[in-house]
Amino acid sequence: MAESVSDAALVERFPWVQIDHDNKHLFRGWLDRRLLIQRCQDCGRFQHPPKPICPACWSSRIEPTPVSGRGVVHLAMFLRQGAPAPGVDYEKGPHPVVTVELEEQPGLRFTSTVVDAPLADIRIGLPVELAWIDRYGAPFPAFRPRAGER
Amino acid sequence: MAAASARSGAARYPIRDQIAIVGLGSTEFSRDAGGRSPASLACEASIAAIHDAGLSKADIDGVVGVLEPGAPRANQMAALLELPNVTHHGGPMPVAMFGLIDAMTAIFSGQCDTVLLYYAFTRLPWNSRSAAQDPFRRYVMMGGGTAKPPMPESMDPSAAYTAWASRYIHEFGAKREDFGRIALNMRANALRNPKAVMRTPLSMEQYLAARMIRDPLCMLDMDVPVDGADAFILTTTERAKRMTKNPVVVHAATAGMVGRNDEDQLPSLARHGQHVVVESLRARGELWLDDVDVFFPYDGFSIITLGWIENMGYCKPGGAGRFMQEHWDEKSGRVLIDGRVPMNPHGGSLSEGASRGTGHLREAVTQLRGEAGARQVENARTALIGCGGFFFNSQGAILRRI
Ligand SMILES: [Zn+2]
Repeated sequence: MAESVSDAALVERFPWVQIDHDNKHLFRGWLDRRLLIQRCQDCGRFQHPPKPICPACWSSRIEPTPVSGRGVVHLAMFLRQGAPAPGVDYEKGPHPVVTVELEEQPGLRFTSTVVDAPLADIRIGLPVELAWIDRYGAPFPAFRPRAGER
Repeated sequence: MAAASARSGAARYPIRDQIAIVGLGSTEFSRDAGGRSPASLACEASIAAIHDAGLSKADIDGVVGVLEPGAPRANQMAALLELPNVTHHGGPMPVAMFGLIDAMTAIFSGQCDTVLLYYAFTRLPWNSRSAAQDPFRRYVMMGGGTAKPPMPESMDPSAAYTAWASRYIHEFGAKREDFGRIALNMRANALRNPKAVMRTPLSMEQYLAARMIRDPLCMLDMDVPVDGADAFILTTTERAKRMTKNPVVVHAATAGMVGRNDEDQLPSLARHGQHVVVESLRARGELWLDDVDVFFPYDGFSIITLGWIENMGYCKPGGAGRFMQEHWDEKSGRVLIDGRVPMNPHGGSLSEGASRGTGHLREAVTQLRGEAGARQVENARTALIGCGGFFFNSQGAILRRI
C-alpha cells in the first residue's frame, strides 16, 4: 500500500502536480488506484479539492475516505487545444474534460477526463464510474460511462 | 454571527461618492507592442495620467499596481517615476476593481491623498507565436507561480468558464447565437474605438464558423491578449472639485465572492460571486438600472457577460440571449438597452483587448467626462460596471458624474 511511500518518493512519482501536506493523501491513493476524498470526522461533510480544515465546521479532524467514484457529469467541455499529456492528441480529436458530481454528496465534484466513450455520448447528466488510466507511469483517475446506463 | 449575517437593505458605506477619478492615461493596445517592456508601457500610461490630472511627482503619495504577470510592482513603479513621498503602496490581485477599491480605501482612510493606479498587460509566451519567440517573455508566468506544467484536466479559471458555459447551455437551452451576440456587440462597438485591436466588422456567420478552442466556446468567445497599459489618478472628491470641472466619482464599488469558489465546486449558476456583487452594490449605492446610462459587463469570456446581464437584473436567469435580441439595434449592429444604453461602447475585452477590466473602467470615466467622441453616450451621468467572473474575482462599481 502507498502509505509506505515516502513524501520524497511521492513527489517523484507525480512530478507534474504540486503535492503538499494537504493533498498528499489524494496522490497516495492514486498509487493504490483508490479515490480518497477528505471527509470531516465531526460534521461528516466531504470536501474537494483537499484543504487543511473542514470549511463547514472548521474541524481539523479530516480523514481521506474512499469514495465509490460513481457520479453524474455536471460540466462537460471538449478541448481542441490545451496542455500536453501522454495519450492526449488534439490533432486526432477533441479531448473531453468533465466535472463529475460524486454520488456521495450533492455539490461534491471531481474533474477529469472520460474514456471508453464516443464524444457524442459525453454530456451533462451522463452517469459515470471510475476508470483508472496511466499518466506518466502513474495511475490517474478518469471516468467512463456506467455499464447499462448510457 | 447573527449580527453579521443580518445585513439587509442599506449598508454602512461612508465612502460613497467620496473618491474621484481625476486622471486617465492609456497606451495604444496592440497584439505586439514590439520591443517594449510592460514597465515601459506602465510608465507611458502613468505619466499621461499624472499629466492629465495636472499633477506632478510630489503630488502622488499612493501607488497601487495590480499584480498582472510581468507588470512592475508598486515599489518599482515609484522608483521608475522617482516619486519622492509615497505613504501607501499596494499590489492587489487582478482584475481591475481590486486596484480601484484599494486606492479608494487608502485615500478615504487618510493613508494617502492621491493615488496612481496602474495596470500593465503583456502577452504571455503561450498567447501567440510572436510572444513565444520573445526570449524576454519566457519567464513571465501567470500569477508568478511555480513552473509545474498544467494538465489538460485542469480547472484553471479560463477553462472553468467554458465548463460552466456547458452548464448554462444545459440548464437554459442557450444557443450559440446567444454567445455570438456578445461577440458581435463588442466588435461593432470596437469599430468606433481607435485604441481597439479588433476593428474589422464581424457577422454571425463568421462567429459561427470561428475555430472552436474548447467546445462549447470558440476563439471569439475569449478575449484577445494584448500589450498595453492603463493608469488612473484618484483623490478625494473634495479635492477633485477644485482640480477639474468634470470629476467622476465612485458612487459604490465592491468585490463579491461565495465561500465555495474553487472553480469546479461553485454552488451553481444561481449562486456565485456576481450575485454577491449585485447585493452589495444595491446595499451600498443609491443608483440602479433605471439610472444607468452606460453598462460595462466584463467579457473576458462571453459566458461571463451573459451572467452579468442576467445577474444585474436586466432579465431573468437564462434570458440574456433573448434580452439582447429584444434590445438589438439593427442599424448599429449592437445592443442598445431601451434604445439608449450601450454595453461596453469601447469594444470590451473581446474586441478592444484583454485588459481585465481596466478598459471598462477607463471607458466609463471617458464617457462620464463626455470625452468619448464618436462613441459618446448622450448626457451620460451614471455608469455600471460588472467586472470579473464567477469565482474569486467578481466585482462591481457604479461611477457617476457630479
Ligand atoms: Zn466539518
